[in-house]
Amino acid sequence: MSEHSDHNGHGHGEGHGTGFYFKIYLTLLVLFLISVAGPEIGEATGIRAITLVTAFGIALWKARLVINEFMHLKAEKRIMKWLLTTSVILMALMVAGVSPDVLNHRGNNWENLAAQAAVERGLAEMAGEVHEEEGTEVVEAEPAGFTAAASYGTVCATCHGAAGDGSGVAGAALDPPPANFTDPVFWEGRDRDRIITVIRDGAAAVGGSALMAPWGALYDEEQLGLMADYVMSFNPNQ
Amino acid sequence: MSGRPIATDRSATGIPTHRLAIWWVLASEVVIFGGLLGAYLMHRLGHPEWAEAASHTQTWIGAVNTFVLLTSSFTAVLAHQAAEKGDGKKAAMLLVFTIGGALTFLMIKSFEWYTEISHGYTITANTFWSFYYTAAGLHALHVIAGAIIMGIVAVGAFKGRMLHRVEIIGIYWHFVDVVWIFLFPLLYIAK
Ligand code: HEC
Repeated sequence: MSEHSDHNGHGHGEGHGTGFYFKIYLTLLVLFLISVAGPEIGEATGIRAITLVTAFGIALWKARLVINEFMHLKAEKRIMKWLLTTSVILMALMVAGVSPDVLNHRGNNWENLAAQAAVERGLAEMAGEVHEEEGTEVVEAEPAGFTAAASYGTVCATCHGAAGDGSGVAGAALDPPPANFTDPVFWEGRDRDRIITVIRDGAAAVGGSALMAPWGALYDEEQLGLMADYVMSFNPNQ
Repeated sequence: MSGRPIATDRSATGIPTHRLAIWWVLASEVVIFGGLLGAYLMHRLGHPEWAEAASHTQTWIGAVNTFVLLTSSFTAVLAHQAAEKGDGKKAAMLLVFTIGGALTFLMIKSFEWYTEISHGYTITANTFWSFYYTAAGLHALHVIAGAIIMGIVAVGAFKGRMLHRVEIIGIYWHFVDVVWIFLFPLLYIAK
């Protein structure tokens, strides 16, 4: 052990030949290949556990090898191991301490509206991209980069929900609540022209609540039509 | 050797002071990188929509860089071994190989960032990319610092001076490797 460490400090780790280090290096490379191949298999088979174990389990293993055999922590005085362990524990405590607030977007007495809106917007954009790729007729990509799905995701989803069911976070507190486009009853007596009017001039223009503001400044005539078509695509009876 | 600082001879812990010092540095680095990666992990778990952004990182580039760093760790430990045997020239040469690894890593990283930024994935694109550039950028700064210090140590070692430094910079370099070992699955694999 490092008891006989000379004052140059080269005492420890002695006795390991090049062959030993080469073996460790080869082991690291094999582990590395597994950590790349594993997730591919995990994705192909749809078994998430394979991905997680091969990605993070192997990372821990590799780190352990490097720390023990290359940094020689294994042969180091015990106090050093404790010092580093303390550091890791303090870091883990900090992460664990804030994790309930960061991982969750709502708690007993609080709600992280910004995070919830970001998730909804992001998911809606992802859905929008999928539509675009599939080339469905609902969302016609405009040259200017306008898509009704994306615009709905950024402007309307906070109240009406990404799925159109009126469950958007910002709408939760509104009275009247935002319209639920997935409710067949809502669509009784509402046609495309009315929807266009509402989007352009607000619900007040059709005798509804001013909470549904006019959005006419955002869209030209053609885009208004696309927005209306997108909203109408939530109608289950269509 | 009368000009030698007293502190190198004193050692309450039984660990040579220079090695004690680098361990202290790393103990604080654990908290720096640990906090950053922990914050990233928590946000990633709370934001399913990041999957879309994360799917644009280039796994094979991350993989090649992992290989480069693992290899440079191997040459760093061989340099330490040579220094232990008092072979300063060999230690210096192996350190130069290690620096070569650092430079290769940085070149690949520049190419990677160049393609990403030119596709519009900038640090302000969204929170995923902010974390991506911050974490990988902080790591890259450590790579640059390591390469510079290894250069200085290699010059000394070549002249047969301060051979104990080879071990110290090696320990630091392995740590930089370990950080990347965790960054790789976090940023490139777990999509
Ligand atoms: C600030 C929250 C909010 C936002 C943002 C919002 N809405 Fe509304 N919306 C409402 C509320 C509240 C109602 C219900 C009004 C009522 O019942 O009088 C409503 C009703 C509607 C209606 C039905 C009106 C009717 O009576 O026929 C349509 C259609 C509609 N919204 C479309 C949209 C579109 C499209 C967007 C995005 C451009 C949007 N809304 C953005 C809150 C919002």
